[in-house]
Amino acid sequence: MSKKLFVAPRSPMNTLRTGAIAVLAAGTLTLAALGAGSGSSALAAESTIVVAVESDFGRMDPHASGTWNTFKVLRHIFEGFVEEDLTKGGSAVPEVVPALAESWEISDDRKTYTFHLRQGVKFHDGTPWNADAAKFNLDRMTNESFEFFQPISKGMMGWVWQDLNSYEVVDEYTFRINLKQPNSEFIRRLTAGGSGSPRMMSPAAVKQYGNDGIEQHPLGTGPFKFVERVVGEKLVIAKNEDYWNEARKPKVDRIILRGIPEVATRELALISGEVDFIGTPSPDSIEHLKEQGMKIVTAPSPTMYVLWVNLKDPVLGNVKVRQAICMAIDRDNMAKYQRKGFAQPAYGILNFGGPGYDPAFRDCEYNPEAAKKLLAEAGYPDGFSTRMDWTFGAGSDVNTKGDAEWLQRDFEKIGIKASIEMFDNNTYWDMMTAGIREGTGFMSVSWGESTFAWLDQVLASTAQPPSCCNSGYYNNPNVDALLSAARAAGSEEEMTAKLREVQKIIADDMSFIAYYTADSVYATRPEIEGFVLAPQHWIDLTGVSKKP
Amino acid sequence: MSILRFVLARFGAIIPVLIGVTLVVFLSLQLVPGDIALTLLGRFANAEQLETLRRHLGLDQPLLVQYADWFMRLVQGDLGDSLAQKIPVALILIPKVANSLILMAGSLILVIAFGFGLSVLAAANFRGPADRVIVFVSLILASLPVFWLGLVLLYVFGVKWKLFPISGMYDMIDPGGLGQLLHHIVIPAVTTAASSIAIVTRVTRSRLIDVLHQPYILACTARGLSRRRVVLRHGVRNSLATFANIGGLQIGYLFGGVIFSEIIFNWPGIGMQLYESILQRDAPMIQGCVLAVAVVFVLGNLISDVIVHALDTTRR
Repeated sequence: MSKKLFVAPRSPMNTLRTGAIAVLAAGTLTLAALGAGSGSSALAAESTIVVAVESDFGRMDPHASGTWNTFKVLRHIFEGFVEEDLTKGGSAVPEVVPALAESWEISDDRKTYTFHLRQGVKFHDGTPWNADAAKFNLDRMTNESFEFFQPISKGMMGWVWQDLNSYEVVDEYTFRINLKQPNSEFIRRLTAGGSGSPRMMSPAAVKQYGNDGIEQHPLGTGPFKFVERVVGEKLVIAKNEDYWNEARKPKVDRIILRGIPEVATRELALISGEVDFIGTPSPDSIEHLKEQGMKIVTAPSPTMYVLWVNLKDPVLGNVKVRQAICMAIDRDNMAKYQRKGFAQPAYGILNFGGPGYDPAFRDCEYNPEAAKKLLAEAGYPDGFSTRMDWTFGAGSDVNTKGDAEWLQRDFEKIGIKASIEMFDNNTYWDMMTAGIREGTGFMSVSWGESTFAWLDQVLASTAQPPSCCNSGYYNNPNVDALLSAARAAGSEEEMTAKLREVQKIIADDMSFIAYYTADSVYATRPEIEGFVLAPQHWIDLTGVSKKP
Repeated sequence: MSILRFVLARFGAIIPVLIGVTLVVFLSLQLVPGDIALTLLGRFANAEQLETLRRHLGLDQPLLVQYADWFMRLVQGDLGDSLAQKIPVALILIPKVANSLILMAGSLILVIAFGFGLSVLAAANFRGPADRVIVFVSLILASLPVFWLGLVLLYVFGVKWKLFPISGMYDMIDPGGLGQLLHHIVIPAVTTAASSIAIVTRVTRSRLIDVLHQPYILACTARGLSRRRVVLRHGVRNSLATFANIGGLQIGYLFGGVIFSEIIFNWPGIGMQLYESILQRDAPMIQGCVLAVAVVFVLGNLISDVIVHALDTTRR
């Protein structure tokens, strides 16, 4: 009896409990109802597509914007004299097509380029495009005493304007650029993006908003106009109704671009229909995405994964050791299993999608037995120990740590014990600039462009530390000379021949060892049509449409 | 001590803390290895161009000079320009702080409601089935990693059952409205709140169990007061200070926690911005974000102190 006194009477506590459950249930239902309401209004919107890429965007000033990701947007807002045609897709090197220049002539000494500008084109703010606008933009990029000079631009686009001598307005629609020496890639380099881009901004807008203000008012001539930017949230562009090129007039009214760095969220947002289009899904999710009805669009990119070898290392200084390393890598299976088929084996320093690329070229064949023998010949029958400094890479790099582990296993098969140290991307590039540290045998990044300018940055002796990025201290005057000769070459054939000679020398010296070329991978909703991928770091969104 | 005097005294005490924070924030970035100029100019820059830019950014000045410059501008509200965006940091930061506070407030409401409700339910049924379930669930909630819980909730409620959206604060195509915000906030808030709910529940439950075993509770019960009245009126009231204390601590904790959930849910708040800024090595932006988090943390603790002070009659 006395115990009973202390036991709670059941009914009040029951009430308390039921009350709490009722509140919970009511709350959940209300929110679910709210959800149903807003879901239907989203579906009603006219042709807007939402694109989610790997990270938020950077600066909107094309002359100062330094990320590949940002250029995916900027190339739709701004145009240059010429453009790479990314509307065709496929795996051929993108063709250079006229954009704001209708045509151009190159003088016999290949030092003078006369551009005939497209007439009747207006910037998004109504300012006419003409030779004065071209001069304004060249001044902004290259002329340090110009009022609206963009100081970042000079460092960023040094490789575009490296042979520039002078430029002049000939008449309203004729513009002339004079080079100090011939540059076989000059026109191709004018299509550059991702590390500064020689694209044309409205002079009136620059004058009105100033060099910094322009970041929030990017006004070009492209197929899309800038609408709105909320840093860290979204970037909205809309169809330019007055766009000059009928073939590239956008098929949708509006594109909302978002950076969603977390890949799982990006995929879930796609499956749920919140976004129509995502970049770089995880290779492990591809099957699941397909099962959900998503389309996977993929094409080889110019991005090649390369080992930088530390040539100052006492062991790796021996060319036979480096050859053994090259032969130890099982590239076919690496592409097939480690990258789940979204990569192609790569050999040699000329990247897919770049000048001089030769699919048949081999700097070595996979042969661990022969590799072992070579190691023994070099005096390391029992192998040796070394270290790989590695990076997680940027948003579009996929599981690079897995690459390192794959290589570690391959090396182990020929007796080389390699430890792995991982670094974040920014720190890693600093380390690349500082040069491979003592005790480390290899570093690796993904690189490759549709121009060969990057080779000047990687192979040339002038790019050794403390400059970036000949981080393994490779020094071969023949390569330097051939790179200069390739730049000054009189024809594409000549340029290609010189570059292939470079490739041959690099293979003989085995100073850089490529292992695979990554595919660009995008996934879209089933309603999305007309998206094609060309082998470039960026994409073309003008042909994309959405079935209602 | 009157509340007002208490508040003023605490306010005075946080100023040196905030100055200390600025020093740490400033120095921490100097200690991080790396070259901002290289990040800005990219891979094609040469040594001379890098040097020019470093000079331009004042990176060649002595640390003390850099700090003094930075601090003087800071007190005037100028946090500098974002390196990655070339837009004033404050302009980017203010809406982000607001967005994070919204998420934090949503989480805090859940923490208070569930932390309070569950602890009372558990303590009143000490060692009963409800108590055991709550103890068990709170143990699980406390040990779930945010990124795992978030993704599972997204998959179940967002993709499978399509009850809630996956990312962001508003609909992308047709944004706006409180309804959309409430709809978007549920899963992020639940995820952020999960471990805090567990902590608050466990601590408050223990306190309430203690209280419910005090002689005066026995006396109340003996006088024939209903169990409900005893628990809610006489028991809970005496555990409120503990509840406010541990709940208040969660303000800072939640603000730290939103950093993780923001990345999973693409919530455009300070955590998301911090993450992007670190990737972009955007020094002024990182400094701004860390500073904002620190300020909210300090102010949050101040608020909770004041509430505890107000609730705890013995201290007045």
